[in-house]
Amino acid sequence: MGYRKVCRFCEKSVARIDYKDAGVLERYLTDRGKILPRRATGNCARHQRQLGTAIKRARYLALVPYIQGYYG
Amino acid sequence: MRDYEVVYIFKSALGTEDIDARLQRYHEKILAAEGSEITAVEHWGKRQLAYPIDRNENGYYVVAQFSTEPGALPEFERLLKLDDELLRHLVVLSEGELAVPISLGDDDEDDDRRRGKRGDDNDDEAKVAAVDDTDADEADEADDEADDDADEADDDADEADDEADEADDEADEADEADDEVEEEEEDDTGAESDEGTDEEDKD
Repeated sequence: MGYRKVCRFCEKSVARIDYKDAGVLERYLTDRGKILPRRATGNCARHQRQLGTAIKRARYLALVPYIQGYYG
Repeated sequence: MRDYEVVYIFKSALGTEDIDARLQRYHEKILAAEGSEITAVEHWGKRQLAYPIDRNENGYYVVAQFSTEPGALPEFERLLKLDDELLRHLVVLSEGELAVPISLGDDDEDDDRRRGKRGDDNDDEAKVAAVDDTDADEADEADDEADDDADEADDDADEADDEADEADDEADEADEADDEVEEEEEDDTGAESDEGTDEEDKD
């Protein structure tokens, strides 16, 4: 995801990150399905918090995985 | 009166009439409360689940938005829980999201990636309280033990990550926290985020 210094959600003036928008949320997950930390996403505090909540809701709804690439 | 949004996931084997009949029944329950109103009902249709739920690989998604009194919700949710054909439901306060997100439909994930995954017991994980850094160490040990444990440890590590980030903003403790989190990540995540950390440490 590179080194972003500006919050992408702020750039687009996103008021509320939509937990239903799996396409957006997936960009903030590692290949294992973990939530990327803020130092990797470059998000501001508010949006990173929203993102966390949104991803956790989306996981419950099976829109994004809890874990990925796990064959145990 | 507050605005709510509910997402239903029905078993994909259900016919359209069955689903409509169910929605009708649920929504009658909401409308029974005075002044309540259904503002939107959107059928996303059949969609592949990110992980199997009760051995179902697909689900039929419906999103509805409504406004009602908070007191009407327990009865409504009780009705939803009783329905065996409803795989999942989620009722949340509506914050002005669209019923149909823009990117809906580009479900391009590999089928294989979903295999070997536990479908259930996820309800509470989103509500897990904040975890401090010592838990990240425990998570390390848990990682090495059993597979099931490893799953949970991963989640704990996520929480620890978030915490560590906030520390960054505030005080010098951030360095310590970062180190711990770093160790955690080297075990099992990609190199991408690790590089980011190293860079910041030099600063």
